Amino acid sequence: MKLLKIDANQGHFRDINGKYKPIDKIAKEDLLQLVTWTLNEKEVEFDAYDEKAIKNQAQQIVYKSVDQKLQTLRGRKQEFIDEAERSFLKEYEKYRDA
Amino acid sequence: MKKIDLHIHTVPTFSDSAFTFSIETFKRYVTEAHLDAVAVTNHDVFDGKQFRLIQSALDAVVFPGIEINVEEGHVLVIASASELEDFEVKTRLVAQKITKLGDRLSIQELEQVFGDLGNYLVIPHTDKAPPITGATLQKLRQYVCAGEVDSAKKFVRAIKDDTKLTPVLFSDARMKTDLATLPTRRTFVDCGDVTLSALKANLRDKGKVALSEVDGNKLWQVFESGEKLSTGLNVLIGARSTGKTHTLDRLSTTIENVKYIKQFSLVQQDEGAYERAFKGDVERRRSVFIDDFLSGLKAVLDDVMKVDLVANDKAMERYVATLVKSAEEADRRDAFSKTALFDAENFPVGQTKVLQELIESVRQVIENVEFKAIIDKHLDSRSLKRLARELIELLWARTLENSKRSLVNGVIKDVKQSLKMRTAAVPVEDVDLYKVSMDKKRIQRFREIVDFLKRKAVVFQESIQGFRVEAEKEPFAGAGEIKEVSGVKTSFAAAFRKYGDPYDYLRELMSDESLTRSELYKLFVKINYRILNKDGFEVSGGERSEFRLLQEIADAQNYDILLIDEPESSFDNLFLNSNVNQILKDISEVMPVVVVTHNNTVGASVGADYVLYTSKELEQGKTVYRIYSGHPTDKQLLSTDGKAINSHEVMLNSLEAGVAPYESRRKGYEAIKN
Repeated sequence: MKLLKIDANQGHFRDINGKYKPIDKIAKEDLLQLVTWTLNEKEVEFDAYDEKAIKNQAQQIVYKSVDQKLQTLRGRKQEFIDEAERSFLKEYEKYRDA
Repeated sequence: MKKIDLHIHTVPTFSDSAFTFSIETFKRYVTEAHLDAVAVTNHDVFDGKQFRLIQSALDAVVFPGIEINVEEGHVLVIASASELEDFEVKTRLVAQKITKLGDRLSIQELEQVFGDLGNYLVIPHTDKAPPITGATLQKLRQYVCAGEVDSAKKFVRAIKDDTKLTPVLFSDARMKTDLATLPTRRTFVDCGDVTLSALKANLRDKGKVALSEVDGNKLWQVFESGEKLSTGLNVLIGARSTGKTHTLDRLSTTIENVKYIKQFSLVQQDEGAYERAFKGDVERRRSVFIDDFLSGLKAVLDDVMKVDLVANDKAMERYVATLVKSAEEADRRDAFSKTALFDAENFPVGQTKVLQELIESVRQVIENVEFKAIIDKHLDSRSLKRLARELIELLWARTLENSKRSLVNGVIKDVKQSLKMRTAAVPVEDVDLYKVSMDKKRIQRFREIVDFLKRKAVVFQESIQGFRVEAEKEPFAGAGEIKEVSGVKTSFAAAFRKYGDPYDYLRELMSDESLTRSELYKLFVKINYRILNKDGFEVSGGERSEFRLLQEIADAQNYDILLIDEPESSFDNLFLNSNVNQILKDISEVMPVVVVTHNNTVGASVGADYVLYTSKELEQGKTVYRIYSGHPTDKQLLSTDGKAINSHEVMLNSLEAGVAPYESRRKGYEAIKN
């Protein structure tokens, strides 16, 4: 699943309905959805940020930052999920027989 | 009766402080103390060569032995001298296993080394550090015939207690070159020839051990020269400058774990200093309660200290200002400020504390053992476990959601910052309205709590020996009072000006770096201690001394002997007779007590078990100090060098200022009576 793509000199993101919208229109809810996909989907792709490929400077700023964060998250996604499930893990396993 | 000391050190090991062994000291000790038998018991080693030297030099039975570090404490293993070579071999194994501090043998290893321990005299420390108790003692129990204690008090206690082993009191002394005073701790055993088997048989019988040769466990020797004390109540009398206080001082250095109440130590001298000492004393004893009382406030403060209302107000102001400005500039927006994230607010990140606490509570219900039957009656444990698992899953989901939101907030911040640098438009500053309102509510509650705390009320009451200790809370009346409680040399004038508003006051205190934050909870309300007498009035100076004396005497129970020098120095006879005498008598049932007195109320009415009389005598131009002693009903008191003195005369001279004044006083009373 491609979450970020560069097309016709513009940066785009995938919205919840699977449509691609210009990156400067991205709202925080959209960002949260991208994070969720990055963590849950097996394969996610991002077009690498390329300053020359995006003409609009505002788009450059948003695309660059979102791309960087999502890439990092993809690399550490297991660690990220494990950390959330660390508390009471022992009890959770222990009470499994119920 | 045979006098024995079976715990003596002659080799310095890593378990001792350094000393140089002296055979001369050992000889002097055995001779002067008239010992019939001794044992050489060094820490985890046995030196056969040295033992043979000692054996040939001493005029007493000498047993080879060793003091071994076992599981929890120390145990003496003593052999028959006829088994010397075998003992050397076995103890060498012990020395190989215990080579540094902390090394120890299990009881199983001890049995492996020595084979049948029944062939030895096995004496564990029972009421002496480090003691062997519980399971370890049970494992050893079949081999043990006596347990070592370290004071006369503990010896008598063990004799009286059917559940305790026969006690033995030994010196545990180092036979070193510069031994200043010879040890006085040893035990008498009722046996014929002192052999290992005779000792083993006799030590099993409590009726055959004693602290003194003829007086059983009623008396025990305290000084090298032979003077004894009762294991109950001793009264020490004598004219001025005959060595009464000196004798107490000596006792306090020869005996371990002594409670010594010195003369005038409780007497009111400087009112101010006394008041402080008295209050400090009472407060120290009650501080645990007060800490507990204020612990609620401490928890609230930990929370409230994180709240910065000023910063919150500023954030609100910035939010409103940037919002207005952004609205004004709406038509002037460029590509940067038009991006959706430019004005995006952060996602609120929720707390999972309540959920975590709920899971913890459910966990406690599941895991509780003590009330399991009741819990099982009402709740199905399988359902509880399913509940716990579902809550944990919810917690994980919430935590993950929070992490995701924090991540997104990070992106928003990052993007906004970059956009801000490129645009002239003002981004709307974010503010967490939920947090701001929660903080306000928190501070409101905090103010209510502190205002309630400041109301004057008694928060603690305790009755002690006819007195009542009261702790009362009330607001601080000035900066000086706060300073005194804080114990810090800083000015509280500015803080006190804000004392009326608990939050402002807290911020002022927080701005002073010399104050420890975790201690600030003590500075919100003043706790006053008052001691009230039986009529409910605050105690007078004299009563305060009485209270302290009673407290000190009660505290003596934690020691092995109580020495008290002239309690009459500041108390009236009525108090001495009704309170002090009774308490001294009671406490002497469980431990030795020595009272120095000139007062007939104490000396003659306390019901002493033993009387000691100090005397300064001139003999052939030389001053000789003597201690005469005996039971209160004895016609004569005797000194250890064979002198005797008339008891009646001594008592009247010391306690009634002589026979003639006593007679005239008696007649005077008779006359009034008639």
